[in-house]
Amino acid sequence: MIRRLAPLLVVAGAAVSSYYASLAAAPYALMRLAEAKMARTAPTNHFTHSPPVKAERQFVVRPSPDLLYSLCPYDLSAGPLEITAVPVPGRYSSISVFDARTDVAFVRNDEDMAGRPMRVVLALDNQTVPAGAETIRVRYPTGIVLQRVLLADPSEAAKVDPIRRQAQCRTLTR
Amino acid sequence: MKAALKWLGLIVLGLVLGIGLAVWQIRGSGLGNDVRVGPWSTGRDVGTANADMKTRAVVALRGLLALPAREARYFTAATDSAGAPLSGKCSYALSGGAIEARWWSVTLYDRGGWLIPNRWSRHSIGSARIPAEAADHWTVLIGPAQEPGLWIPTGTDGLFELTLRAYRPHGLMARDPARISLPTITKRECRP
Repeated sequence: MIRRLAPLLVVAGAAVSSYYASLAAAPYALMRLAEAKMARTAPTNHFTHSPPVKAERQFVVRPSPDLLYSLCPYDLSAGPLEITAVPVPGRYSSISVFDARTDVAFVRNDEDMAGRPMRVVLALDNQTVPAGAETIRVRYPTGIVLQRVLLADPSEAAKVDPIRRQAQCRTLTR
Repeated sequence: MKAALKWLGLIVLGLVLGIGLAVWQIRGSGLGNDVRVGPWSTGRDVGTANADMKTRAVVALRGLLALPAREARYFTAATDSAGAPLSGKCSYALSGGAIEARWWSVTLYDRGGWLIPNRWSRHSIGSARIPAEAADHWTVLIGPAQEPGLWIPTGTDGLFELTLRAYRPHGLMARDPARISLPTITKRECRP
Protein backbone atom coordinates (compact mmCIF):
# COMPACT_ATOMS: atom_id res chain seq x y z
CA MET A 1 0.00 0.00 0.00
CA ILE A 2 2.71 2.43 1.08
CA ARG A 3 4.71 1.49 -1.98
CA ARG A 4 1.78 2.39 -4.22
CA LEU A 5 1.20 5.66 -2.47
CA ALA A 6 4.86 6.64 -2.38
CA PRO A 7 4.90 8.44 -5.77
CA LEU A 8 1.81 10.39 -4.78
CA LEU A 9 3.35 11.33 -1.45
CA VAL A 10 6.54 12.49 -3.15
CA VAL A 11 4.58 14.71 -5.58
CA ALA A 12 2.43 16.09 -2.75
CA GLY A 13 5.44 16.73 -0.51
CA ALA A 14 7.32 18.57 -3.25
CA ALA A 15 4.20 20.55 -4.18
CA VAL A 16 3.50 21.66 -0.60
CA SER A 17 7.14 22.63 -0.07
CA SER A 18 7.42 24.64 -3.28
CA TYR A 19 4.02 26.27 -2.68
CA TYR A 20 5.06 27.70 0.68
CA ALA A 21 8.57 28.50 -0.55
CA SER A 22 7.08 30.49 -3.44
CA LEU A 23 4.74 32.43 -1.15
CA ALA A 24 7.62 33.19 1.21
CA ALA A 25 9.99 34.24 -1.59
CA ALA A 26 7.54 36.38 -3.57
CA PRO A 27 7.70 39.55 -1.38
CA TYR A 28 11.52 39.57 -1.38
CA ALA A 29 11.65 38.98 -5.14
CA LEU A 30 9.06 41.65 -5.94
CA MET A 31 10.74 44.16 -3.62
CA ARG A 32 14.11 43.49 -5.28
CA LEU A 33 12.50 44.02 -8.67
CA ALA A 34 11.04 47.33 -7.52
CA GLU A 35 14.39 48.41 -6.06
CA ALA A 36 16.15 47.47 -9.30
CA LYS A 37 13.58 49.43 -11.33
CA MET A 38 14.00 52.47 -9.08
CA ALA A 39 17.78 52.22 -9.19
CA ARG A 40 17.64 53.24 -12.86
CA THR A 41 16.43 56.71 -11.91
CA ALA A 42 16.84 56.95 -8.13
CA PRO A 43 20.33 56.56 -6.63
CA THR A 44 20.60 54.44 -3.49
CA ASN A 45 20.60 56.27 -0.14
CA HIS A 46 19.31 59.51 -1.66
CA PHE A 47 15.78 60.83 -2.10
CA THR A 48 14.52 61.20 -5.64
CA HIS A 49 11.49 63.47 -5.79
CA SER A 50 9.22 62.09 -8.50
CA PRO A 51 6.92 64.34 -10.53
CA PRO A 52 3.15 63.76 -10.22
CA VAL A 53 2.14 60.24 -11.24
CA LYS A 54 0.87 59.74 -14.77
CA ALA A 55 -0.30 56.62 -16.58
CA GLU A 56 2.78 56.88 -18.77
CA ARG A 57 5.11 57.06 -15.74
CA GLN A 58 4.32 54.58 -12.98
CA PHE A 59 7.21 53.51 -10.76
CA VAL A 60 5.29 50.94 -8.75
CA VAL A 61 1.98 49.12 -9.00
CA ARG A 62 -1.20 50.94 -7.90
CA PRO A 63 0.25 54.45 -7.53
CA SER A 64 -2.03 57.22 -6.32
CA PRO A 65 -2.31 60.20 -8.69
CA ASP A 66 -3.36 62.28 -5.67
CA LEU A 67 0.01 61.94 -3.97
CA LEU A 68 3.47 63.27 -4.66
CA TYR A 69 6.06 60.56 -4.01
CA SER A 70 9.71 60.81 -3.06
CA LEU A 71 11.74 57.60 -3.03
CA CYS A 72 14.93 56.62 -1.29
CA PRO A 73 15.99 53.02 -2.01
CA TYR A 74 18.41 52.21 0.80
CA ASP A 75 21.29 49.86 1.47
CA LEU A 76 22.70 49.84 4.99
CA SER A 77 25.84 47.87 4.06
CA ALA A 78 28.00 50.99 4.31
CA GLY A 79 26.44 52.24 7.54
CA PRO A 80 23.19 53.46 9.12
CA LEU A 81 20.92 55.78 7.19
CA GLU A 82 19.83 59.16 8.50
CA ILE A 83 16.35 60.25 7.36
CA THR A 84 15.22 63.83 7.84
CA ALA A 85 12.00 65.51 6.68
CA VAL A 86 9.65 68.34 7.49
CA PRO A 87 5.85 68.16 7.50
CA VAL A 88 4.08 69.95 4.66
CA PRO A 89 1.66 72.38 6.33
CA GLY A 90 -2.07 71.86 5.98
CA ARG A 91 -2.07 68.49 4.27
CA TYR A 92 -1.36 64.81 4.79
CA SER A 93 2.28 63.87 4.42
CA SER A 94 4.24 60.93 5.74
CA ILE A 95 7.58 59.18 5.76
CA SER A 96 7.46 55.38 5.73
CA VAL A 97 10.14 52.69 5.65
CA PHE A 98 9.54 49.35 3.91
CA ASP A 99 11.97 46.52 4.54
CA ALA A 100 13.09 43.86 2.07
CA ARG A 101 10.14 41.66 3.09
CA THR A 102 7.74 44.56 2.28
CA ASP A 103 6.84 45.05 5.97
CA VAL A 104 6.47 48.61 7.21
CA ALA A 105 9.27 49.25 9.71
CA PHE A 106 8.33 52.85 10.43
CA VAL A 107 5.68 55.46 9.62
CA ARG A 108 5.49 59.07 10.73
CA ASN A 109 2.87 61.43 9.36
CA ASP A 110 2.45 65.18 9.59
CA GLU A 111 0.15 64.87 12.63
CA ASP A 112 2.83 62.86 14.46
CA MET A 113 5.40 65.50 13.53
CA ALA A 114 3.17 68.25 14.97
CA GLY A 115 4.77 70.90 12.80
CA ARG A 116 8.33 69.94 13.76
CA PRO A 117 11.06 68.44 11.54
CA MET A 118 11.82 64.77 12.05
CA ARG A 119 15.13 62.92 12.18
CA VAL A 120 15.49 59.17 12.58
CA VAL A 121 18.35 56.77 11.99
CA LEU A 122 17.74 53.45 10.28
CA ALA A 123 20.23 50.78 11.35
CA LEU A 124 20.86 47.07 11.43
CA ASP A 125 21.03 45.41 14.85
CA ASN A 126 24.83 45.35 14.91
CA GLN A 127 25.41 48.94 13.76
CA THR A 128 26.40 51.78 16.03
CA VAL A 129 24.29 54.90 15.84
CA PRO A 130 24.91 58.45 17.10
CA ALA A 131 24.10 58.89 20.78
CA GLY A 132 20.61 60.23 21.37
CA ALA A 133 19.38 59.58 17.84
CA GLU A 134 15.89 58.13 17.45
CA THR A 135 16.76 54.76 15.96
CA ILE A 136 14.75 52.28 13.91
CA ARG A 137 16.31 48.83 13.92
CA VAL A 138 15.66 46.71 10.84
CA ARG A 139 16.46 43.07 10.05
CA TYR A 140 17.37 43.47 6.39
CA PRO A 141 19.99 45.79 4.88
CA THR A 142 17.89 46.92 1.92
CA GLY A 143 14.46 48.47 1.45
CA ILE A 144 12.73 51.69 0.45
CA VAL A 145 11.98 54.95 2.26
CA LEU A 146 8.91 56.65 0.82
CA GLN A 147 7.62 60.18 1.34
CA ARG A 148 3.97 60.81 0.45
CA VAL A 149 2.47 64.28 0.18
CA LEU A 150 -1.22 64.78 -0.61
CA LEU A 151 -2.23 67.00 -3.48
CA ALA A 152 -5.84 68.11 -3.26
CA ASP A 153 -5.34 69.45 -6.79
CA PRO A 154 -2.51 68.78 -9.28
CA SER A 155 -1.84 72.53 -9.49
CA GLU A 156 -0.57 72.41 -5.90
CA ALA A 157 2.51 70.43 -6.92
CA ALA A 158 4.66 73.51 -7.55
CA LYS A 159 3.81 74.98 -4.14
CA VAL A 160 4.50 71.74 -2.27
CA ASP A 161 7.63 70.73 -4.15
CA PRO A 162 10.22 72.95 -2.37
CA ILE A 163 9.01 71.72 1.03
CA ARG A 164 9.08 68.02 0.24
CA ARG A 165 12.55 68.42 -1.27
CA GLN A 166 13.85 69.16 2.21
CA ALA A 167 13.54 65.43 2.95
CA GLN A 168 16.94 63.75 2.91
CA CYS A 169 18.47 60.29 3.17
CA ARG A 170 22.19 59.96 3.81
CA THR A 171 24.55 57.28 4.97
CA LEU A 172 26.20 57.94 8.31
CA THR A 173 29.86 57.02 8.05
CA ARG A 174 32.34 57.06 10.88
CA MET B 1 19.14 4.83 -13.12
CA LYS B 2 15.61 4.53 -14.49
CA ALA B 3 14.15 4.49 -10.99
CA ALA B 4 16.17 7.56 -10.01
CA LEU B 5 14.89 9.43 -13.04
CA LYS B 6 11.33 8.45 -12.18
CA TRP B 7 11.64 9.84 -8.63
CA LEU B 8 13.36 12.95 -9.92
CA GLY B 9 10.52 13.46 -12.40
CA LEU B 10 7.94 13.12 -9.62
CA ILE B 11 9.77 15.67 -7.48
CA VAL B 12 9.97 18.12 -10.40
CA LEU B 13 6.26 17.58 -11.09
CA GLY B 14 5.44 18.37 -7.46
CA LEU B 15 7.65 21.47 -7.47
CA VAL B 16 6.01 22.76 -10.64
CA LEU B 17 2.52 22.11 -9.25
CA GLY B 18 3.33 23.92 -6.01
CA ILE B 19 4.87 26.95 -7.74
CA GLY B 20 2.01 27.05 -10.25
CA LEU B 21 -0.60 26.98 -7.48
CA ALA B 22 1.19 29.77 -5.59
CA VAL B 23 1.46 31.97 -8.70
CA TRP B 24 -2.19 31.32 -9.58
CA GLN B 25 -3.33 32.21 -6.07
CA ILE B 26 -1.21 35.36 -5.84
CA ARG B 27 -2.28 36.62 -9.24
CA GLY B 28 -5.93 35.75 -8.70
CA SER B 29 -6.37 37.29 -5.26
CA GLY B 30 -7.60 40.77 -4.46
CA LEU B 31 -5.59 43.23 -2.41
CA GLY B 32 -6.71 41.70 0.89
CA ASN B 33 -9.80 39.55 1.19
CA ASP B 34 -10.19 39.45 4.97
CA VAL B 35 -13.04 41.97 5.10
CA ARG B 36 -15.80 42.34 2.52
CA VAL B 37 -18.20 45.29 2.36
CA GLY B 38 -20.48 44.95 -0.65
CA PRO B 39 -18.20 44.76 -3.71
CA TRP B 40 -15.23 46.10 -1.72
CA SER B 41 -12.60 44.03 0.04
CA THR B 42 -9.65 44.87 2.24
CA GLY B 43 -7.08 43.16 4.43
CA ARG B 44 -6.59 43.61 8.17
CA ASP B 45 -2.83 43.10 8.28
CA VAL B 46 -1.58 44.85 5.14
CA GLY B 47 1.98 46.09 5.56
CA THR B 48 2.50 44.61 9.02
CA ALA B 49 4.67 41.81 10.35
CA ASN B 50 1.40 40.05 11.34
CA ALA B 51 0.44 39.52 7.70
CA ASP B 52 0.33 35.88 6.68
CA MET B 53 2.47 34.61 3.83
CA LYS B 54 -0.26 34.80 1.23
CA THR B 55 -1.37 38.31 2.19
CA ARG B 56 2.22 39.54 2.09
CA ALA B 57 2.79 37.98 -1.35
CA VAL B 58 -0.45 39.36 -2.79
CA VAL B 59 0.21 42.86 -1.44
CA ALA B 60 3.76 42.75 -2.85
CA LEU B 61 2.33 42.02 -6.30
CA ARG B 62 -0.81 44.14 -6.27
CA GLY B 63 -0.14 46.93 -3.79
CA LEU B 64 3.57 47.17 -3.03
CA LEU B 65 4.44 49.90 -0.48
CA ALA B 66 0.93 49.88 0.98
CA LEU B 67 0.67 51.40 4.45
CA PRO B 68 -0.69 49.60 7.54
CA ALA B 69 -4.30 50.12 8.64
CA ARG B 70 -3.47 52.74 11.27
CA GLU B 71 -2.30 54.99 8.47
CA ALA B 72 -4.52 53.99 5.55
CA ARG B 73 -7.15 51.48 4.57
CA TYR B 74 -7.26 50.25 0.99
CA PHE B 75 -10.46 48.76 -0.41
CA THR B 76 -10.62 47.29 -3.90
CA ALA B 77 -13.66 46.43 -6.02
CA ALA B 78 -13.52 44.43 -9.23
CA THR B 79 -17.31 44.06 -9.54
CA ASP B 80 -20.31 46.33 -9.24
CA SER B 81 -22.74 46.03 -6.34
CA ALA B 82 -24.72 43.40 -8.27
CA GLY B 83 -21.61 41.23 -8.61
CA ALA B 84 -20.89 41.80 -12.33
CA PRO B 85 -17.27 42.51 -13.33
CA LEU B 86 -16.50 46.20 -13.88
CA SER B 87 -16.21 46.73 -17.63
CA GLY B 88 -14.69 49.70 -19.44
CA LYS B 89 -17.55 49.56 -21.94
CA CYS B 90 -20.10 50.39 -19.24
CA SER B 91 -20.89 53.46 -17.22
CA TYR B 92 -21.45 53.32 -13.47
CA ALA B 93 -22.68 55.53 -10.66
CA LEU B 94 -20.49 55.38 -7.57
CA SER B 95 -22.64 56.73 -4.72
CA GLY B 96 -21.69 57.14 -1.10
CA GLY B 97 -21.76 59.24 2.02
CA ALA B 98 -19.31 60.43 4.63
CA ILE B 99 -16.21 58.27 4.94
CA GLU B 100 -14.49 58.20 8.32
CA ALA B 101 -11.04 59.33 7.27
CA ARG B 102 -9.02 62.49 7.12
CA TRP B 103 -8.86 62.16 3.36
CA TRP B 104 -10.09 59.60 0.85
CA SER B 105 -9.96 58.98 -2.88
CA VAL B 106 -11.23 56.51 -5.47
CA THR B 107 -8.83 55.53 -8.27
CA LEU B 108 -9.43 53.47 -11.40
CA TYR B 109 -6.85 50.83 -12.44
CA ASP B 110 -6.65 47.98 -14.91
CA ARG B 111 -6.88 44.48 -13.44
CA GLY B 112 -3.12 44.44 -12.94
CA GLY B 113 -3.23 47.55 -10.76
CA TRP B 114 -1.87 50.06 -13.28
CA LEU B 115 -3.35 53.42 -14.24
CA ILE B 116 -4.98 53.36 -17.67
CA PRO B 117 -3.96 56.17 -20.07
CA ASN B 118 -6.81 58.46 -21.11
CA ARG B 119 -6.85 61.78 -22.91
CA TRP B 120 -8.01 63.67 -19.83
CA SER B 121 -5.17 62.26 -17.67
CA ARG B 122 -7.82 61.74 -15.03
CA HIS B 123 -7.73 58.63 -12.88
CA SER B 124 -9.24 59.47 -9.52
CA ILE B 125 -11.56 61.63 -7.47
CA GLY B 126 -10.51 62.70 -3.98
CA SER B 127 -12.58 63.89 -1.05
CA ALA B 128 -11.29 67.43 -1.64
CA ARG B 129 -13.29 67.48 -4.89
CA ILE B 130 -16.61 66.66 -3.20
CA PRO B 131 -18.56 69.86 -2.39
CA ALA B 132 -19.11 70.31 1.36
CA GLU B 133 -22.90 70.27 0.95
CA ALA B 134 -22.65 66.87 -0.81
CA ALA B 135 -20.27 65.26 1.69
CA ASP B 136 -23.03 63.02 3.10
CA HIS B 137 -24.51 62.05 -0.25
CA TRP B 138 -22.32 62.23 -3.32
CA THR B 139 -22.16 60.50 -6.69
CA VAL B 140 -19.18 60.04 -8.99
CA LEU B 141 -19.81 58.84 -12.53
CA ILE B 142 -17.46 56.36 -14.16
CA GLY B 143 -17.60 55.51 -17.85
CA PRO B 144 -16.08 55.72 -21.31
CA ALA B 145 -17.89 58.92 -22.40
CA GLN B 146 -17.25 62.29 -20.80
CA GLU B 147 -19.84 63.31 -18.20
CA PRO B 148 -20.45 66.65 -16.50
CA GLY B 149 -19.40 67.00 -12.87
CA LEU B 150 -17.51 64.35 -10.97
CA TRP B 151 -16.41 61.77 -13.51
CA ILE B 152 -13.60 59.24 -14.00
CA PRO B 153 -12.98 57.92 -17.53
CA THR B 154 -12.57 54.16 -17.90
CA GLY B 155 -10.02 54.58 -20.70
CA THR B 156 -10.35 50.95 -21.77
CA ASP B 157 -12.84 48.46 -23.18
CA GLY B 158 -11.41 45.83 -20.85
CA LEU B 159 -12.09 45.02 -17.23
CA PHE B 160 -11.02 47.42 -14.54
CA GLU B 161 -11.06 47.80 -10.79
CA LEU B 162 -11.43 50.60 -8.27
CA THR B 163 -9.34 51.29 -5.19
CA LEU B 164 -10.75 53.37 -2.37
CA ARG B 165 -8.01 54.80 -0.14
CA ALA B 166 -8.95 56.14 3.28
CA TYR B 167 -5.99 57.93 4.87
CA ARG B 168 -5.88 58.36 8.66
CA PRO B 169 -9.07 56.36 9.23
CA HIS B 170 -11.05 56.91 12.41
CA GLY B 171 -14.22 55.61 14.06
CA LEU B 172 -15.51 52.29 12.70
CA MET B 173 -13.32 52.66 9.62
CA ALA B 174 -10.31 52.28 11.93
CA ARG B 175 -11.77 49.85 14.49
CA ASP B 176 -14.07 47.52 12.57
CA PRO B 177 -14.22 48.04 8.79
CA ALA B 178 -16.58 45.07 8.38
CA ARG B 179 -19.37 47.23 9.91
CA ILE B 180 -18.96 50.35 7.79
CA SER B 181 -20.91 51.44 4.74
CA LEU B 182 -18.97 52.01 1.55
CA PRO B 183 -20.07 53.51 -1.78
CA THR B 184 -22.38 51.45 -3.97
CA ILE B 185 -21.41 50.82 -7.60
CA THR B 186 -24.45 50.76 -9.88
CA LYS B 187 -24.25 49.91 -13.57
CA ARG B 188 -26.06 52.43 -15.77
CA GLU B 189 -25.56 51.37 -19.39
CA CYS B 190 -23.10 49.53 -21.62
CA ARG B 191 -22.05 50.15 -25.18
CA PRO B 192 -21.75 47.20 -27.57
